[in-house]
Parts: sequence; structure tokens; C-alpha cells
Amino acid sequence: MSNKKYWTSLDELNNTPQYQESAAVEFKDATENDIAEEQSQGGTNRRDFLKVMGFSVSAAALASACKIPTHKAIPYTIDLRKQVPEVVPGVADYFASSFTDGTDFVNILVKTREGRPIKIEPNNDSPLGGTTAHSEASVLSLYDTTRLATPTQKNKKADWKSVDADVTQKLNAIAASGGKIAIVTGTITSVVTKKAIEKFVAKYPSTTVVAYDAVSNYATRKANQISVGAAIIPTIHFDKAEVIVGFNSDFIGTGISALSNVKKYIANRVPSKENPKMSRHHQFQSNVTITGSNADYKYPIKPSEEKQALINLYAEIGGSISGVKTLSGKDANDGIKKVAKELLAAKGKSVVISDTNDVDVQLLVNAINATLGNYGTVIDTANTSNLKAGNDEALAALANDLKAGAYKGIIFLNANPVYNTPYADIFKEAIKKAELSISTADRPDETAQFCTYVCPDNNYLESWDIISPVTGFYGFVQPAISPLFDTRQTAATLLTWAGDTTPIAEVVQAEVATITGANYRAAVQAGFYGSIGLAGGASANAASAIAALSTATASAANGLEVVFYEKSGVGDGSFANNPFLQEMPDPITKVTWDNYVCVPYSFAKEKGIDAQPAEKNVPIAKVTINGKTLELPVVVQFGQAQNTLAIAVGYGREKAGPAGDAVGKNVYTLLKAVNGVTSFSTSGATFELTGKEYQLGLNQTYHTLMEDNSLPMREKRYRGSIVKETTLSDYAKNEKSGNEDREHIKEHFSHSLYDGYKPNDYKQGHHWGMVVDLNACIGCGACVVACSIENNVPVVGRRQVYRSQEMHWLRIDRYYSGNPDNPDVAFQPMMCQHCNNAPCENVCPVNATNHSSDGLNQMAYNRCIGTRYCANNCPYKVRRFNWLDYQGVDSFGTFNDGKMSFTDTQAQSYMFEDLTRMVLNPDVVTRSRGVIEKCSFCIQRIQEGKLTAKKEGRPVKDGDIKSACQTACSTNAIIFGDQNDKESVVAKTFDTSGRNYFVLEEQHFLPAVGYQVKVRNKDEQPAEFFIDKPEKA
Amino acid sequence: MHSCKPIRKILALLVFLLLLTQSTSTFAAFAVPDVAATDAAGVEKVKSGMTLFKANCTACHALDRKVVGPALAGVWEKWESEEKFVHWVQNPAKLIASGDAYANKIFNENNKVMMTAFPTLSADQIKDILLYLKNPAAAEPAKAPAADATASSSSGAATGDKGSSNWYVWILAAFLAVLALLLWSVTSKLDKAVKEKAGEKVEDESLTKKLFSNKTLKVLLLIGSILLVFNIFNGAIDLGRSQGYAPDQPIKFSHALHVGQNQIECQYCHTGVEKSRHASIPGTQICMNCHKYVQQGPKFGKDEIAKIYDYSGWDPDKGKFVKAPKNIEWVKIHNLPDHVYFNHSQHVKVGGIDCKTCHGKVEEYEVMKQFAPLSMGWCINCHRQTEVKFADNNYYSIFQKYKAELKKGTKAKVTVADIGGTECQKCHY
Repeated sequence: MSNKKYWTSLDELNNTPQYQESAAVEFKDATENDIAEEQSQGGTNRRDFLKVMGFSVSAAALASACKIPTHKAIPYTIDLRKQVPEVVPGVADYFASSFTDGTDFVNILVKTREGRPIKIEPNNDSPLGGTTAHSEASVLSLYDTTRLATPTQKNKKADWKSVDADVTQKLNAIAASGGKIAIVTGTITSVVTKKAIEKFVAKYPSTTVVAYDAVSNYATRKANQISVGAAIIPTIHFDKAEVIVGFNSDFIGTGISALSNVKKYIANRVPSKENPKMSRHHQFQSNVTITGSNADYKYPIKPSEEKQALINLYAEIGGSISGVKTLSGKDANDGIKKVAKELLAAKGKSVVISDTNDVDVQLLVNAINATLGNYGTVIDTANTSNLKAGNDEALAALANDLKAGAYKGIIFLNANPVYNTPYADIFKEAIKKAELSISTADRPDETAQFCTYVCPDNNYLESWDIISPVTGFYGFVQPAISPLFDTRQTAATLLTWAGDTTPIAEVVQAEVATITGANYRAAVQAGFYGSIGLAGGASANAASAIAALSTATASAANGLEVVFYEKSGVGDGSFANNPFLQEMPDPITKVTWDNYVCVPYSFAKEKGIDAQPAEKNVPIAKVTINGKTLELPVVVQFGQAQNTLAIAVGYGREKAGPAGDAVGKNVYTLLKAVNGVTSFSTSGATFELTGKEYQLGLNQTYHTLMEDNSLPMREKRYRGSIVKETTLSDYAKNEKSGNEDREHIKEHFSHSLYDGYKPNDYKQGHHWGMVVDLNACIGCGACVVACSIENNVPVVGRRQVYRSQEMHWLRIDRYYSGNPDNPDVAFQPMMCQHCNNAPCENVCPVNATNHSSDGLNQMAYNRCIGTRYCANNCPYKVRRFNWLDYQGVDSFGTFNDGKMSFTDTQAQSYMFEDLTRMVLNPDVVTRSRGVIEKCSFCIQRIQEGKLTAKKEGRPVKDGDIKSACQTACSTNAIIFGDQNDKESVVAKTFDTSGRNYFVLEEQHFLPAVGYQVKVRNKDEQPAEFFIDKPEKA
Repeated sequence: MHSCKPIRKILALLVFLLLLTQSTSTFAAFAVPDVAATDAAGVEKVKSGMTLFKANCTACHALDRKVVGPALAGVWEKWESEEKFVHWVQNPAKLIASGDAYANKIFNENNKVMMTAFPTLSADQIKDILLYLKNPAAAEPAKAPAADATASSSSGAATGDKGSSNWYVWILAAFLAVLALLLWSVTSKLDKAVKEKAGEKVEDESLTKKLFSNKTLKVLLLIGSILLVFNIFNGAIDLGRSQGYAPDQPIKFSHALHVGQNQIECQYCHTGVEKSRHASIPGTQICMNCHKYVQQGPKFGKDEIAKIYDYSGWDPDKGKFVKAPKNIEWVKIHNLPDHVYFNHSQHVKVGGIDCKTCHGKVEEYEVMKQFAPLSMGWCINCHRQTEVKFADNNYYSIFQKYKAELKKGTKAKVTVADIGGTECQKCHY
């Protein structure tokens, strides 16, 4: 039985009085300060509220008594002169398509209703089918009000005809005079755009094309050029690896082709009774990432020590190399020895991987993998990635040339170097000086605002395209809606200027037919072409890799070191204006809407930060890096390397739009090139507390699951019945390891104080249930975004999150356990448990929440009067209250006035915009102010699945109905089904799995969500971090 | 001789005409048997013919009058053989191409509009349709009027027949009031007698005095306020409900004409009713299926149909679409609140509910109106009373307890409410 102590935050670890207080209450009361602030900002006070209320009620009564409001019914009219596919209003259509953000690629299905995309679902036929938080949220970017509706000239509206004429004339003039033209772009995976650029370059031969990535992996390509012989990024088959060693690699989080990696990684990470095996995952990390949190063993290392650690490891596995030195951390030193032993035992079945943009690091990684013989078995250099193809050196060279004024024309293909490169000022000046400056950004962003012409690109949901993420594999993009605005796909724009006016649809269709050798319709319907097998390929040459290492010893790192990392929410910043992603809690820190400086626990203790006021008021620190000073809120991060700070890129946008502007601080300007590649770490930083405080939109320090630790049995366990875990060796011996107390609990249930009391048994019809596997859940958060979009869950803004009033129906709880300097992490998706003995139901005075005959805990919004008793009584803290009218559904205007911005006092009414409202799911009602809402198990999907079965005259089959979180999950961590269907995964797991348990089961709420005990592939549980020593059997 | 010429010409013409009529009357007809109501097998065939006719033909044909295509009653008198007729239905284009005289004749008569081919209809099925065309009455079940009556009475019960029940209540109330008055006067007289007997002096109060006494006024006031509150409450419940709502529409579309007279099936226009939550209001593309040819209506002549042409972008002179269609902004009649989920296909396809149950006798509506109150009580009531197709639909096989109870006879029927049809989240999500 696990008696580890779990904690979620610093306050909880220290068990401060403030923590105890905040954990005890469901709703944080508004303080005097809050109220005063609100009034000063023109908010509504109680008196005004009553006045308005009184008026509204009488006005409503009068209005409805006098006349019926007239609604219009608009038929679905079809233009018979055109060939239009048949649409049944009210029935969803799905279009196969592809999504890429330059770092990751997924094959998707676009769900459309009455012709408008409303949801992204995975295309499970494809090996790269799945969804990520980015792809799920991307549907909202289509309806972004900041998008340009027409091309612009000098920031004034223009039309395509005149823009095309002007641009072509100027291009010709520049080309005729022999002037140079630069095309600056992100990684291009589009086959069509590549061809368009080729045609453009053929027409204007003085053109130079420079591709760069804001968060670059150029070093990987450069190192492979040296050691493998080609500037490639290999495909890594994690499913073939028994030992995985990551060095600052977030390969299942924000790394290259993360979705593909996740699917392969998870294949060996979920043990079963029949196959109690797992791969072992070690992670050397400077800052904590999703990947690190999922590792079995973690070793904090400073960024400056990464190269040294790899040298030591290479020597340890028998490579000949000089310069072995002891690392500063004991854990890391011991770790190198342990890892080397395991790697040697798994030659050809292991992989060492790093995402660090440092050629030396990548060369060492290659040398180690080559020595271990992992090429051809795990690492595939034949199927290589086309993602992250940016060239840091080319970008630096371009910046240099621009400074010298070498270019007369600059074209930015959806690139934003004024924001996301360290060369912002150079680009700004160069644009102003250039004879012709064009951006194809979809909004007047930081770069586009200075350009003479902005030729807005289509959203990908409006485009035709072919994307090749991996050699030999193609994903097709087809429009799911006609362009909403007068925009044009970038490839078409370039082709037009190159003198080719073939409609882009025809270009793509012809190209698809050429690639697949088949009818383009069939290919586009499938959405992809090709497969990703293990093709082998050449191995790296260890000797040449080692020979190429730079001899310059790293200058002794002085002062604090800093890591710049990417968050899985807003990514590199291109998604900054997507409120869903801004409000998605960071998987590790659980902070929304900001970037901040993460400091390690030891540092926090040293600086006395742990003595700071509790809750979400965090200190603001002045951080000086490379001579530039930033003021950032401080977040204490357990497991971060000593004397290392971490700051996320992708924030501090100025021209992203209302959601993204002025959120956090931009740190791209602090990056520097080291040996030709952009370095994402630096040293010599200083840190100084300002004495000021910041109100952080932080989750997880509240909505704390109840557990009564005062009971005699309980005192030595802390959250022991919420998160359960075991080690693989224990699990192999005993299937019920870590879950032993279940028998005892079940035994208790056979007794009742009430004679003859029988709970409803739900033995006929359906009894819905869910299985959540703590081993499969990597904490990525795609389900949280999917749930919000499927169920019209509103975004509330930082201020509301600070007040613990966020609305997410599904959250992922993150628990730490063990050593605060290097803890274990557990992720636990938590949603309504649909308890059969639901404590929320019997406290509702108006019976607005009650139980259905198929085991669902129902919530009738129109019945709710907002007493919030249910939320107070919910042991899982999954009920959410609509404190404000977030979606503009109240009949008589709004109290928000639509004036506030997201970071302001109240949520900005982004859902009040007609355009944005098009993303709403028409099968789910929007909730008004003053009612409780919560997870419904996607009742609309249940009803739809049942209806389909009824129409076909058959029972519902397992897998017919999938909740939104289930479809979003690429690791099958969430599975929905019918407990009464004995063939269903849910029923089988509940009945037979030794890992299955229910959270707070001993309280007898009889929840319908079964969790699977987390199994870590550890040799043994380190004893010193238990509250009590584990009982030895 | 000379004088004979015209006579001979006329004679020759007469003979030719005679021959011509002869030829049509002798060759251009085939026999379709009569079916007596007692002939069970025959009636079955007629019924199947009716189903086929309604499913396939009513879009363009009626029995007794021209719709898009000609009236079909007596069609057997026009065709030379049954085989040819079958051939025509299955593949009219081929028959026309083969040069068949009558086929070409009706093709030309109908503005050269090709009839839709029905290659899937077998010869036997077409013969059934012919049987129905000859014997339409045989398909009408004798008990049909009775069934109608029960349907309307049950729907009447569901909605609550306010008129008749109110009348009854008022009579009863008046009767009770009179009775109360009588009893009161009797008891007061008796009381008075008793008191007089006891030797008390009793003041003789007149009835009017008593009626306006303080006590009576108080009682009346109380009754008055109860009635007022009751009325306000009832009125408040009715807020936002709009039974009988029949607004003016942008086009004076008559269901009475289309459904009643022309007998077009509901599904012909409301195509989503079995597939989707929306029955869906037809776009002009559906109107134009018929109105390309039907250019004049019986009541408003060309005016209303001209509006459809305008909306759909059709130029009747050129006979083609010349503009992009515009949306007809119909005034929505059935307005459910946003928090109610209703699905037509669930009710029509799965539940087999007749359109009339909720929409009334649409075939009589000159202007469309809201028939049902669309209140929650009305929904719930129906869910409590309506039986699900428990035996017919294998979906319900998961309700094993009910299955056993039905078998044992402890349960008479499984209603929608029994399988959870009155639970909140069946309609509110």
C-alpha cells in the first residue's frame, strides 16, 4: 500500500495556514480589495445589480406579455447551377484533413455542421492520426476576429487586383535592376508551397529563400550532416526501445513530431497482467517538461552541464573520449552510471535523445547511439522528418545582409521575425528601407504592421494543400469551408506573382493524383498517403562525430543559468491569440495566461520565497539576462536543476489580437547565437525580488480533493486513496500491488446501517462508465481543450482564474511526491465521476441535479437556481459556477459590456462576437449566468450514438460512443463505455483489472470512473520520502 | 362528279377518323381488374400499390388531376399494353427513343419534360400500382374514420380540451352555488326557529343585508384574490407559449393546397425528418422541382409563384436559373427554448410518430400554425403514455428486466418514460 505523501503546491508541501484555509472552502470569497477594485473599474455593485435586475424582470414580463419575439427560419438553399455536396441540416459532416504547426503534424477529421467547422477529431485510419491541444484549438483560430478581411496596402484596405498589379510590377522592376529579393519563411512542409516558391524563384532568380524556426532544432540537422552525412532529423521508433534516455528532450510534449512519438512511446508504457513489461525512461533535465514528468528516473542537470553529462555517458559506455569530469549533482553522477549499465544491456534496443540546439550535444548523442547500435533498429535515418527545417545560420546571415541593406524586396511567408527572432530591430529597419515589403500573415502582426502590403493567407481549414511531414508520407488538406474573408492561400499568391494563375484547387488535385497515382477524390477522402515503417538507414559515425566536437571548453558558467523553453499551450507564440490555449493550464506548473520565471525549490528556500504569502499572489522578480532586464512573476518548480531559471518563449505578443496581446513577456529578444546556432540557454543571469506581488492565474492550489486525514487509518496516508501507484517489479509479482486496500474497502460495503437498503443497481439498459489509465495519461492537455470546444465551455480570462472561477469541466490534476528537489509526478484527469451515491444530488433544493436511469449524474441548467450547495458538497470538486455571463446568452444585455480584456477584471466577451460564436456546438446549450455546470459524459454524443443504434435496430456497440476527451486522447488513457455491456472495455476493466480503483472509494460515493494504478518502472520505491516507512511484507 | 369531290373528301376523312378512333379504342387500352373489398389478396396488392404510389409517384402525379405529370386515373385506357406501360415507367427515355407513338405524344404534351425513370420498380410492383389506380377505395381501410377519431380524441385529451371542460365546470359551479345558498337559507331559518323557540328575540335580517354583511364581503374578497392569483399564475405559465401562432409568411404558401389537395407527402419537402434533428424547411431547390412546370396556382395565380422564381433565381421565360438563389426568410413558428433538445428523426423514424400528432391536420391549414402547446407538460405527458417499439427494435433488447416482465405479464407495456424518457438530460443538455 502506498503511503507516499502527495502535494500539489509549495503551500501544500509546507502545509501553511493559508493553504489549510483555501483547501477547506470551495469558493474563494471576494475580498474587500476585490470589491473596491471592481467598483473603481466601473463594475456593478449590489445596489446597481438589484436595480438592473428589477428593471430586467419587469421589462421581461412586459415584453413577453405584449408580443412574441419573431424568429426567422432560414432554409438551407442550394444553388442548383453548381455542384454542391448533399448536406442534411442538423447532421454533421466530416472532412479528412491535416494540421501542422511546423513542429508537429496530425491527420485530422474536421467536423462541420451546416457547413461550418466546429470541432477537430482524429483521423484514426492514419498512422499519424490524432489530435493535440494545438490542433483541437485551431478551429477557433478560423473564427479569429483579428484576421484581415482583405489584402492591405500601407495598412489600408486594398483589393487583390491592384495589389497583384503593383507587386508584380515592383518585383519585375527589382529583378530587372538585379536587386535581391528575400523570402523569409518558417519551416515549409507543404509540397504545394514549395513548388510555388520554386516557380517564383524561377521567375525572379535574384530571390533568396530563408527558412527559420522560432524554436530551432537546427543543431540536430547540422550534427547529422557531420556524422550521418545528411542534414536530416531521423524518425525515432520509441516502440522498439527498451531504454529511453532523454537529455532536455521534450519528445512527447513540444518536441518534433510529438504526436507520432507519443503513440509509439505509449505502446511500451502500459503494463497489463498478461504482459507486465514497460520500457524504462530516464530523463536528464534542466527544467521540468511533460516528457520529464513521465520518466521513471529523473536527474536534474544545469544546462551548461548537458555536454559534460553526455561526455561522461559516452565514456561510461566505452567510447574513447577525453574530458570526463564529475557533475555537480550527486543524482546526475549516479544516474550516468546507472543509465550506462542499462544502455549497454539494451544495445540496439535503446535510444538517447536530446532537443538541445547545440551541435556538440547532438554529435555526442549521435556517437552514443552509434556505439550502442541503435541506428537501423530504433533510429530511422531513411524515413526522415521534414518538420523543423529552419536554418539558424542562414537567418543570421540574412540579418547581416539586411543590416547592410542588400535586399530591395522582402517577402514574409507567415513568418514573424520582428517578434520571434533575436534580430527584431534589424528586420524592423530593413522592412522600412526596402523598396517592396510584403507579409502573408493572416493579421497585422508585429512584422506585417511595417510591411507595405499584407496579402492575408487562408486559414488551413479554407485551403487546399499537401503536407509531407516525413519522407514518403503525405497528408492532404481540403477546405472544410469557403474562405470567410477575401483572403488567398499563400501558394496561390506566389504562383500569381510568378505568372501562373491556375486555381490552387486544380494545382493541388493534379499534384495529389501524381503522388498517389490514383483519383484525387479517393486520396483526399482518406486524408493521407504512405506509411511510416521502420526503414533503417545509415548509422551515424561515432568517430567523426567525436572528432567534430568543438574543442572550446565551455566557459565556466557563472551566476544563474537560464533555460528558454516552449509551453505546450501557446507554443512558439503563433497561437497566442487563441484563448483556449492561453487558458489551458500548463501541464506542469498549472499556470494559465502568463509566462513567468520558474525557480527551483532549493533556490526558493534560499531566497525565502516559500515564506511568501500563500495562494496565488506570487512575488515579482527582476531578472537580468544578457544585459536586459525583465520583471516576471516567480513560480517555484520542483525538480528543476539547481541555480537554474526557466522562462517560456511565445509570450509578450504586441500584435496578436485581444487574447494574446500583452500576456507575459517576450524573451525571444534575449536569445543569442552560439557557434552559428541559436542557443536556448544562457548563464550569468541575476535575480532580484522586487517586493511587488502578482496575481497569477494558477490552477490546482484549490479545488482540492477531500480526504479526511484525521481518521485513525488515514493519518499516515496523504492522498493515498486518490493517487495510487506501484513499481513494475511489484506489479509483476502482484497484480493488485498498490491497490491492496480495495479488498478491505469492498468488504466494508457489504455492511449497511440501514436494513434492507439497496442502492439502485442499474442492471438493465445502459450504465455508462469510464476508465482512466494513469500510466497512459501523459498530462498533455489535449482532452481539456477538446472538452471545452465540444461542450461550449467558456474561457474566463486570467483574473477569473486567479479567483478560482475557471470553467473547465475536465482538469488534469498534477501531484508531486518524493524529494521536493526531484519529485515524481503523477497526472490524474479529473472530471465528474457520475457517482451512484452522488453527494451533490441530495443537497440540491430544486432537484436540478439528479440521477438518470443509465447512471448519469444529470445537470438541468434551466432548473438550477445557483445555490452552489452541490459544488460545496462535491468531493471531487468538479462542479463549476457561471459567475458571469461568459457567452452572451442572457436576454437583457450583459454585465461585462465587452469592454474588459482577458487579463482585466472580467473575462472579455470573446464569445459575444458573431464570428466567434460560429465555433459553438449547436447540440449543446450555452449556459447563462448563475447556474452550475459540469461534465456530462458528453451526453449529446451518448444520445446521438443511441439514436443511430435505434435507427439501425441494434444495441449500442462498444466504441460507438466516445466522449470528446476520449477521441482527443492519443494514448487511450480515457475510455468510455457501458458497464452493462459485458464485452465493453469499461466492463472488462472494472471486472478483471487488478489495477482498477475508484478515487475516494472508501467513502462509498460509487463513482462511475475507474482509475488504473500508476505503475512506475523503478527498481524500488526510495524509502526516505514516505511519511512512514513502507511495511515490509 | 365535280360536286361529289368534296363529299368524297369528307367521306374519306370520316372513314380515316373512324379508323383512327377505332384504332385508339381497340388497341390503346388494356384491362386492369377490379378488386372487391372482400378479396383479401387483392386488397393486399392494392395496399402495396398505394404505398409504392405514395412513395414514388405523388411528387409528380395525382389520381384525378394534373400535377407535374398527367392525372393517372384511367391511364390503362391510354396505353396499348401493360408491357409498354411497365417499360415506360422503368425507362421512359428508351421508349421515347424507340419511336413509340404514344410515348412521344405524352412527352411532347408535357413540355418535353422527361419522366423520372424507376428501373428499380418490378413489373409486379407496377401492376400493383395500376391496381391501386383502378381501385383506390379498396386501399382505404373501412375502420379508417374510427382510427382518425381516436387519434384526434387522444390528441385532444393530451392538449386538454379547454372549451368543453370549462363549460362543464361553470355549470357545476353555478349549481353548487345555488345549492349552497339554499342550504344556507334553510339553516339560517332553522337556526332562527330554534332561537325563537328558546325565547330569544331575533332580528329578522333580509337576504340583501346578509349578502353585503362584513363577513360575506371578506369571504368574497378571499375568493377573489385566490382567483386573481390563480389567473396570474396561469398567465405567467403561458408567457412565451404560443399555441395557435400563425404569422404571415413572405410567401402565401398553403399546406391545404400542397398536402390536402395535391397529396404531396410531408417528407417530400421536409427531407430531414427521418435523418436529422431538424425536419428542415425546404430550400427553393425543392420548390423548383415542381414549380418549374407549375407556374400558376389556384388562388393567387402567378403572383406567389413568381416570388419563388425571384428567390430561386429562375427565369421562367428562358427556362433556366439565371441568378444565385436568395434565402426565403420564413417566420419561425415552432420555437423551442435553446435549452431544449428535440430530434425529429428520434420521433418519426424510431418512434413512428405521425406528423399530425404534434402538427395537427396540416392538410387543412391554409396558413401554417402551431398546433401543439409545445410545453414541457405536453412533452412529458406523451412520453408517459407512448409505448416504445419494444419488440420490433432490437436496440431495446438491453432492457432484460422489462422483457421478462412483459413475458410474465406483470407489465403491460413499456413506455418512453420507462426507459428514461422523462429524465432531465434526455432533452436538456
